[in-house]
Amino acid sequence: MQNSNTIETQNNKVLVVGGGLGGIRTALDLAEADKDVVLVDKDFTVGGLMTQLDRTFPTNNCDLCTIAPHLSESNRQEHIELMTMTSVDNVTGEKGNFSVTLITKPRYINLEKCTACGECLKQFPECVRFNPGLDHRAPTCMRYPQATPQAFSIDLAKCTDVQALVKVCPAGAINPDDMPIKRELKCASIVLSPGADLFDPSALDYLGYAKFPDVVTSLEYERILSASGPTAGKLLCPSNGRQPKKIAWIQCIGSRGLQKGAGAYCSNACCMFALKEAIITKERFQEDIETTIFYMDMRTFGKDYELYLNRAKDDYGVRFLRSRPHSILHHENEENLTLTYTQDDSTKQFEEKFDMVVLSTGFKTSEDTRALATKIGLQLNDDFFPVTDGFNPVATTKPGIYVAGTFQGPKDIPDTMVQASAAACMAGADLPFFAKKQAAEKEEERARDISLEEPKVGVFICDCGENIGGVINVEDLVEDAAKLPYVAVAKAEGHGCSRISMQNIRQTIEEEQLNRVVIGGCSPRTHLTKFQDLLGKAGLNKYLVEIANIRDQATWVHFGMPGEATTKAKELIKMAVGSAVKAQPLADQSLPMNKNVLVVGGGVTGMTAALRLADQGFQIYLAERSDKLGGLANKLIKTLEGDDVQAFVADLIAKVQNNKKIQVFTRALIVDHSGMPGMFKTGMQSGPQMFYRQIDHGVTILATGALSNRPSQYLLDQSPAVRTQLETQKFVYDNPDAVKKWENVVMIQCVGSRTPENPNCSRICCQNAIKNALAILAINPEARVFVLYRDMRTYGFQEEYYQKARSQGVLFVRYDLDTPPKVQAAGDQVDVTFHDAILGMEITVTADNLSLSTGMIADNDATEELAMVFKLPRTVDGYFLEDHVKLRPVDMSVPGFFVAGTAHSPKLIRESITQANAVAARAQTMLARDSINLGAASAKVDGNLCAACLICVRACPFDVPFINADGYSEIDPAKCHGCGICVSECPAKAIQLMQFEDDRILAKVEQLFERINA
Amino acid sequence: MENFEPVIVAFCCHYCAYTAADMAGSQRLPYPPNVKIVQIPCSGKIDALHIVTAFEKGADGVYVAGCLEGDCHFKNGNTRAARRIEFVKKYLEEIGIESERLEMVNVSAGMGHRFAQVATEITDKIRKLGPSPIRTALAQ
Repeated sequence: MQNSNTIETQNNKVLVVGGGLGGIRTALDLAEADKDVVLVDKDFTVGGLMTQLDRTFPTNNCDLCTIAPHLSESNRQEHIELMTMTSVDNVTGEKGNFSVTLITKPRYINLEKCTACGECLKQFPECVRFNPGLDHRAPTCMRYPQATPQAFSIDLAKCTDVQALVKVCPAGAINPDDMPIKRELKCASIVLSPGADLFDPSALDYLGYAKFPDVVTSLEYERILSASGPTAGKLLCPSNGRQPKKIAWIQCIGSRGLQKGAGAYCSNACCMFALKEAIITKERFQEDIETTIFYMDMRTFGKDYELYLNRAKDDYGVRFLRSRPHSILHHENEENLTLTYTQDDSTKQFEEKFDMVVLSTGFKTSEDTRALATKIGLQLNDDFFPVTDGFNPVATTKPGIYVAGTFQGPKDIPDTMVQASAAACMAGADLPFFAKKQAAEKEEERARDISLEEPKVGVFICDCGENIGGVINVEDLVEDAAKLPYVAVAKAEGHGCSRISMQNIRQTIEEEQLNRVVIGGCSPRTHLTKFQDLLGKAGLNKYLVEIANIRDQATWVHFGMPGEATTKAKELIKMAVGSAVKAQPLADQSLPMNKNVLVVGGGVTGMTAALRLADQGFQIYLAERSDKLGGLANKLIKTLEGDDVQAFVADLIAKVQNNKKIQVFTRALIVDHSGMPGMFKTGMQSGPQMFYRQIDHGVTILATGALSNRPSQYLLDQSPAVRTQLETQKFVYDNPDAVKKWENVVMIQCVGSRTPENPNCSRICCQNAIKNALAILAINPEARVFVLYRDMRTYGFQEEYYQKARSQGVLFVRYDLDTPPKVQAAGDQVDVTFHDAILGMEITVTADNLSLSTGMIADNDATEELAMVFKLPRTVDGYFLEDHVKLRPVDMSVPGFFVAGTAHSPKLIRESITQANAVAARAQTMLARDSINLGAASAKVDGNLCAACLICVRACPFDVPFINADGYSEIDPAKCHGCGICVSECPAKAIQLMQFEDDRILAKVEQLFERINA
Repeated sequence: MENFEPVIVAFCCHYCAYTAADMAGSQRLPYPPNVKIVQIPCSGKIDALHIVTAFEKGADGVYVAGCLEGDCHFKNGNTRAARRIEFVKKYLEEIGIESERLEMVNVSAGMGHRFAQVATEITDKIRKLGPSPIRTALAQ
């Protein structure tokens, strides 16, 4: 019954296979919802592909920084059991009762003992190898500094002198006799997110990848750019180490069926990947470097991705060539490579020299995962990806087994994260349902009252193996620290974070009745929580500890100057002691959690989210603005894949209406809102009489949808032959006889999208056009269908329908934004005139039907009003803005708010459903709590000093401070984000930020100079 | 002053600059030990008083390091900090301390290299400027 609030049975766990970003998200979502997870990864640390990237689009942020908090040991939940170097051998049983055989390979390192000191790596630095081939891996290896587990792994095959290696480890953690372990696991459901491989271009000799070192894959280029890569972030040609002047990217390598062995699908993320690499390259070298992307269609269909493309073109001067590269050659006596290509509007062959060529290689599933999938009975499609439900892409053909991430289909990180949460929702729902046991709630640790005590500080200094102790003499630091004011105990603690040292520190705190603790060691970013927990166990308030980062800030960066490093370490410790003396016990803010959910929007997204949460026992209020449920999906007939939308929606509505836990309000208008996360109050008027009603809820889900766009262009609403794609679908379905008489059909893409007025791509229109073109040809195979497009964005498996349309004779003709097609009325028909690049002339087609791909626009009026009522951010084009485009794609910046479906950005019905499942999982992470811990770092106003000058009210980035009834400023700790901006702005110094009080910051400064001046 | 070694206080925001300093550490990128880091939650938390106190106690240089523009975890703390720095610079000039002794810099969490580079550049600059007038006065 340990670690769990549910009654222990054998199969109350979810198995998550694959510890990449997706697997981690799934595991964390489940764990935060109080569900037990076993996370297995075949690699020796978790993190997957993302840890190899330099930065990620579209924020161009560093990945390690964003992923590290997800992985660091202290953040890992007590509900997650992590098994690295472990693979699934077999699965038997069925949903609710699976039996899984797991095999763990020997690591040759005892994780209990390893402190990740790095001694073994230092002594055996040769032959380091990294996965993509450019980097190397030592016999002992940790993939990246923030790796979880924080321990090394040994490649015993590479080691010539095992005994020498064993001796090198100061902790005695190396065990050459380690053996593989087999384990049987019972679980209720399984999430597979093992990721995918990247296409290997070695076999394509015309690209020269295997021959020329300066032809690299996009992942290898990423490693070259990465600060943790083989060149420490210097951009150098692998052949001769010179800095390149001209770099080319070639798109669609291994995708869209272009090369031998390539997948027929589009790999979805490569366009953005190449853009990012080109932008970062330009950013760093500006005029000194030329970047060119050779592409067929730029597929920047994600939220605000089109803006990223425009930035690459307009702001960074990345050159785009719509072309077909032919080959890469290396002429003798030349340093650079010669790329030959044709451009799409001519047959002439061009030649151009480049210093480096980057191949944008696509995704493919690995042999291992294919074998595993087949073994456990999953059906795979022709591309060897799992077959999934038409309306629920995370559900496989086998109940209880779910997929997420690039194993489900090629995709980028945001889509992976959404699927990972969605899979968590589905897999979590398969667990046996148990009421939470109140008694099992974590026992509140009683902290000692220290209010009357003089500060009594204990200083514990780590040597961190050689990391600190190898540069400076720790005993010297201990001696120095012992002389500082208020210091009662100073000790050297070896590896302070090791289990034994933690016990020693705890014992010392208890025996000496210390009331402040200073650790001289590594970064508080990674280890503060660990020591805070320790203080809690030792009966002290957890905020009475301070870490002096003498490793990262002294021994690691001043390793060549041991004298200076020692002095600086002493200074840092003195500063920390000075600050710790001023530290006061703080209480974490917590609020009781209201477990009701308000879902705004009764379309497919809102209904799906409502059903998922209702099934978990939560009360749902579903508010729909119109008089019926279903939203935009009421107008859809079939999906591209042929699934029946009408039947699906009807079924969904019936389920919602029959669910006792869901209360539906139609014609509902949200009119007011107050409260704080976990205890909101929202007022709405609903029904024909517009009755007012106030609802208490803890979580709000926004699923308000978007509108289908209808710009007055190309004679829409003026000629009977002109229809939107939505209308075309209905017309074709209702009037097959009329369609049989059609001779010419023209479709125009990007109507009202990707224009200066509405710069973003509507994502759904390309597949819509293909869907309608195929439907028309099915009824009338003789019809000539022209699709006038700018870039065909049939991403993922949609590409195969695009190929099908081409093979059935649909003519795809490209046009530019500057030369749009012209449309003139011709009786009941329309004349469409456009330029054909291949014929090199204008062509006029008299069309019986002109379908306009008008896409979607945000429901600006609705989102603006809701954004005002709820105080939520929106994008420039009126969609709700998620908190983090990659890592928190359905969470909003205001805690307790989530967004899903087309209210987030245009998307397909199955993508909306995935997001609906994802918000349900994210909402459960909050709803599982009985109270919400908000930490202690919040700003506090001293009413006696406040002059009610309103400066804090204006300064707060989150609009938190207000002037209360007593006439002074009040800051709600539940809403405060803890930045401290108001504190520094306040002219009366009436505000203090807890944990970062001014006297503590000043104490550090004063102590520093006291030491120097002494 | 012979062999003058300046003392420089770097107020680093938690989300970016402090993390960048850790990155510099884990990549073993050396920078002068003259730079002493004080962690603050956001560069916008930097108080004119903190900066002035550092100078008063004898700092030869102070810099505030925040996230890249537009990347602030708290929306606009770094731009506020930059404005405050401009203000304090004027004030420093008034009391006879060269305003070049105070800087605002922006580094993202991943920029270990840039962190080390900035620390080196600022130390070089302050070394050229010589000891701060207050430190000279304190020494007498």
